[in-house]
Amino acid sequence: MNEKLTLTELQLIIKDSLYMALPDMYWVIAEISEIKENYSGHCYLELVEKHHDEVSIRARVKAVIWSNRFRFLKSFFENTTGESLRVGIKILVRAKIEYHEIYGLSLVITDIDPAFTLGELAIKRQQILKRLEDEGVLNMNKELDFPVVPQRIAIISSKNAAGYTDFMNHLTGNSFGYVFYTALIETPMQGSETEAGIIWAFDRIASHIDKFDAVAIIRGGGSQTDLSWFDNYNIAFYITQFPLPVITGIGHEKDLSVADIVAHQALKTPTAVADYFIECMNKAENHLIELSSEIMNRSEIILEENKQRIDNFKVKLIPVARIMLSEIKEQLSGSIIDLINIGKDYILKAGLVPANQKSRLSSASRSLLSMKDSQLKLNKQKLIAFPGAYLNRLSIKLSGLENSLNILDPENVLKRGYTITSLAGRIIRLCSELRNNDLIKTRFSDGAVSSRVVEKQKGEK
Amino acid sequence: MVKKEFSFNKAAEEIEKILSNIESGNLDVDKLSAEVKRASELIRQCQKKLRSTEDEINSIFKDLV
Repeated sequence: MNEKLTLTELQLIIKDSLYMALPDMYWVIAEISEIKENYSGHCYLELVEKHHDEVSIRARVKAVIWSNRFRFLKSFFENTTGESLRVGIKILVRAKIEYHEIYGLSLVITDIDPAFTLGELAIKRQQILKRLEDEGVLNMNKELDFPVVPQRIAIISSKNAAGYTDFMNHLTGNSFGYVFYTALIETPMQGSETEAGIIWAFDRIASHIDKFDAVAIIRGGGSQTDLSWFDNYNIAFYITQFPLPVITGIGHEKDLSVADIVAHQALKTPTAVADYFIECMNKAENHLIELSSEIMNRSEIILEENKQRIDNFKVKLIPVARIMLSEIKEQLSGSIIDLINIGKDYILKAGLVPANQKSRLSSASRSLLSMKDSQLKLNKQKLIAFPGAYLNRLSIKLSGLENSLNILDPENVLKRGYTITSLAGRIIRLCSELRNNDLIKTRFSDGAVSSRVVEKQKGEK
Repeated sequence: MVKKEFSFNKAAEEIEKILSNIESGNLDVDKLSAEVKRASELIRQCQKKLRSTEDEINSIFKDLV
């Protein structure tokens, strides 16, 4: 055994040798397995490299970012990637190897390349998306019909988060006065418990599935949200398989997480999610308003059309009714004259026959008269009822009668070459009704002439 | 107790059907006013559904959380 060294001397030899052997800065790829910032702002990390199984560790080293660099690197990294420096993400760092006699070997990180992490996250995201696509489930949530009235909403978020409060304020304070029913299922929205928590929340909602119309995943809030917690196969798979449409408001300006991509609809902010629900309700209501105004318009048109038809019929019916009434009058007076003559006949005959037959004859004539009388009454009733029923039918089947009315219209009769002759406003049907020198009016389709009777020729056609 | 739930969708479908009936021109004038009345009642119920709170749902939701 030669020289004996103190521990310090040994450590200093190692330190010097390392410095001599590895004097440069190195760009190193590693995954963060531990990270903490101490009271003075220095950041202490443990970096690892894993085997392909993503579990067992091939290499491990301690690292540090001194506070003066860390302040700058932290915000640079977060602003560029939208991610915080946290356990599980892969980073590319520029580091110098340092050896300390007490603390041993560590990497002193002086720079970080955020582009590398972005690329890594994108690759991971692509892998998850490809797996979902291969399994044929990628668009399953999107394929669900979104409810017309999404009024009952299950919310996955954390209660004390600004994002949830924004969402609720926006939703309940909507200017239309729509009512929403919300149930918050609380779970961490970032950190290593995110995956298990969100799956638990989905299971809870699933056990009351008929109570809800839709699910909203609302960001926990705070200044920094790690999108990559939602680049998670299990969360994404649950969303694709969920029987209700899922709306995400995880909130990320730069990129969409896998959860966003598989969701029915992805929106940037919690308030945008609230707006989406309000808009859906508004769309439903506007559709109703359109329908009702269309119904009103159509009904008004139909009513107006019918009113005009009735007016038209009135104008056409008045002359028709007049002609019909005068016909009825004439028939009636003819029947009365006939009856009187029959009665006279019987009475005359009764005078010529013996007394016993006289009474039979007079009673026969009485019964005949009463029969005729009741027949007359019946006819009269029918005649009175006839125009009424006729008008009734007309108002029910307004359109069908238009053609038949056209035929009845005296105007059309006149057009066919017939004329109407009247004396002092009374229609003349028989030559015998006229005397010489009577002033008669003859109506044609295009006007009327007045003339005096000079000669009557009876019986001639 | 099973309370028959008012369905916005079903009501909207019925309103659409009434409208298409009216548009088809086959609707009897006598039935028009009844149909319009029915449609306006359905619309009123739909709007009520959008705006008035049902305590029943609220209490169910409270139990869920």
